[in-house]
Amino acid sequence: MARVGIDRKNFFRRVAMFLAILGPGIITGSVDNDAGGITTYSLAGAIYGYGLIWTLIPSFIVLVVIQEMNARMGIVTGKGLADLIRERAGVKVTFFIFLGLLFSGFGNTMTEFAGVAGSMEVFGVSKYISVPIVAFLVWILVVKGTYKIAERIFLIFSVSLLTYVVSAIMGKPDWSEIGSSIIRPKMAITTQSLAMVIGLVGTTIAPWMQFYMQSSVIEKGLKIQNYNYTLIDIVVGCVVTVVVAFFIMVACGSTLHPQGIVISQAKDAALSLKPLAGNLAAYVFSFGLFIASIFSATILPLATAFFICEAFGFEAGLDKQWNEAGEFYVLYTGILVISALIILIPGAPLIAISLWSQVINGILLPVVLISMMILINNKKIMGLYVNKLTNNIIGWSAVIILVALSLALLVIPFFEKKG
Amino acid sequence: MTAYTTFYLSGIIGKEVFDTDGEAVGVIKDLLINSIPGASNDSGRQIVTAVKLKTDKGFDHYSFEYFSIQKERERIVVTCKELVKIPEEDVLNGMALVENILDKQIVDLNGRKLVRVNDIRLVKLSQGTYPLAVDIGIEGLLRRLGVSQPIKRFLAIFRINIPAKFILWEDVQAIDFSNLNIKLSKSYSKLHTLHPSDLADILEDLGKRSSMRVFSALDEEKAADVLEEMESHAQVHILENLPVEKAADVLEKMPADEVADILDELEDDRAEVLLKEMETESSNEVRELLEYEDDEVGSIMTTDYLSFPASKKVEEVLLELRNKKPEAWELYNFFVTEKDDELIGTFDLRDLVVAESSHRISEIMNTEPVFLLDNQKVGAIAELVSKYDLLAVPVVDDKHLLQGMVLIDDVVEDLIGERRTKRKSR
Repeated sequence: MARVGIDRKNFFRRVAMFLAILGPGIITGSVDNDAGGITTYSLAGAIYGYGLIWTLIPSFIVLVVIQEMNARMGIVTGKGLADLIRERAGVKVTFFIFLGLLFSGFGNTMTEFAGVAGSMEVFGVSKYISVPIVAFLVWILVVKGTYKIAERIFLIFSVSLLTYVVSAIMGKPDWSEIGSSIIRPKMAITTQSLAMVIGLVGTTIAPWMQFYMQSSVIEKGLKIQNYNYTLIDIVVGCVVTVVVAFFIMVACGSTLHPQGIVISQAKDAALSLKPLAGNLAAYVFSFGLFIASIFSATILPLATAFFICEAFGFEAGLDKQWNEAGEFYVLYTGILVISALIILIPGAPLIAISLWSQVINGILLPVVLISMMILINNKKIMGLYVNKLTNNIIGWSAVIILVALSLALLVIPFFEKKG
Repeated sequence: MTAYTTFYLSGIIGKEVFDTDGEAVGVIKDLLINSIPGASNDSGRQIVTAVKLKTDKGFDHYSFEYFSIQKERERIVVTCKELVKIPEEDVLNGMALVENILDKQIVDLNGRKLVRVNDIRLVKLSQGTYPLAVDIGIEGLLRRLGVSQPIKRFLAIFRINIPAKFILWEDVQAIDFSNLNIKLSKSYSKLHTLHPSDLADILEDLGKRSSMRVFSALDEEKAADVLEEMESHAQVHILENLPVEKAADVLEKMPADEVADILDELEDDRAEVLLKEMETESSNEVRELLEYEDDEVGSIMTTDYLSFPASKKVEEVLLELRNKKPEAWELYNFFVTEKDDELIGTFDLRDLVVAESSHRISEIMNTEPVFLLDNQKVGAIAELVSKYDLLAVPVVDDKHLLQGMVLIDDVVEDLIGERRTKRKSR
């Protein structure tokens, strides 16, 4: 009732302040459009025009189905996904998954800092200035920060998502062509285009999201009575993800693609927009990239450190002192600092880094999904709320498609060598 | 040869068992102990009673008596003279170490928190084999992964030790078990030794089903204390899932203002059901408090206070207190009222103790007490409490009739919040 007390609980409680305003699904959906995502969507737009926009539809369905399962598991069990996997699968499987999650956490955080570096370079700021400052600010915000600051930053972020709509419209896209390319996708199946599709799906459905979604639902104290509300929240979140992805692809597809401009980073997309859609469009695009990178750089290392500690039983949470939760702080700080430092190495192989973190995500995702499918069909854990047949059909087909895509990703290089 | 052998659970799970002829008979899947640590059938010392083996015929529990575990040059060898099945009842009464303890959360009674079990250390003595401690450290994890020795040797070059983290078996309260024959209320008896606020933290961190199970096992007094200490969404979860009668019994043991706070968070139907189930006297107090808006002083005041007429003598009041044995917080401040509960003064424990026993309350009371109005905003409390250094402030209505009192305990979080913002803005 009138308890306006200070919140002392763990980090999710802090994040929960966001969630009080916007639901777990919307947050997850927004963090999903991070620097890696923006890069991949830009590349897809630049290379294939509107040709790959259709992939957003199946991605959307799978995204909704997976997140619904996470939310349901969180609501019913009150336990995090890391907890459940550890308790059912034992140390070895858990270790493999979390080693992967740690690497992907590093990879993703590096991608975020690369996004910070790239977007600031468009404004003429050297990465040797922007990256250390951002890393420091993020660390301070998380370790010493308050809700109010974090809240405001999130508001800026969600507004910045609109910038992609602006940049897309500035590129004067041909809407009827976009429409027909979604309804009747024309795509030459080459190894390159297949790799792009894998990249798009991989960046939209990331393994860490499953853990994050489930924990946020628990931290928000959602009940099965709120299930319908939760479902709406998830659908809205997934719509946000897909709509932003759509406009980024449109922005690049309508300007860069007809000119045949080849880009390799999101920054290139912004720079190439300058002559085609004007300085403002380029700045707006970079600003979105910058904010998205910071936001994800705040959440990702924190979430990664938290889940690893959860799985292995270390104390975790920002309410704990350094001497209580040493592993947590070392992990969190380590991921942040090392990622920032690697980006600062002159001539760091940014593209290779983002490629490799996508490969790790691609391998990890099926493993996490299979664990989830097994857990959610276990009556001992889920009781009445085990998967229905339709959930299982969509869930398992998603797993099979993703495994097939990941395998394809591993096999493609061999074909390319032959060819 | 030493009189005892210590080994790790991880060291024998998955091991092949040989008979006296050296033939393999099966693979060890689990060890069974005779009782649940922390439960009332806890004999003080758990002993390993059976081995769950996977043989050609499937899974079964075999009496540990015929097994022998030996360390031969740092390698563990398990042999079995004879396979003797144990009665089904013993399996149900016992507890499986892998299924119920390993990788699960347990309560560390000494450290008063939840921890996750990475491994279990056992000792084999001449009288039997006992669990010694649970390993919750990194070393246990590495051992499970099979890389403990190489990593330790490697780190030794740099003189780095992996610190071992063990919890003695006596300090372990198992949480996650479902095979129980014994009564639920007896399964968590060791938890009663914990402070309610520690117990509340532990319950919040447990999964939904486990937290309900542990909570249901507490007696009403303890349950009330624990519920009071929990975060509001955890309170809601408990009250929604507890049987109505039990929930009402627990609520009756709590101060009315706390109950009002909790019921306010519940859905109206459920709150009404609980209020109906409670005794009328308690529920009426709660209903009155529920009338107040969230941000009004009335919503957080307690209606349990002590008031006396001004004509009473000090010795009479002291005697009354001795007989009544009020709660500690009821002694924070005493009120002096006229016939209609009109507040005319206050006095505190010091005033009472240092006064002559023949004095009347009217002589020792403060006739111009600081007070709050029941419809005032709660924001006013913190300022008043810190300004006048009060432990409890009387609350009156617009006719100056005493309605209750606000305790510093209930506003302390706001006070800390205020301090903090002050410090930050500096």
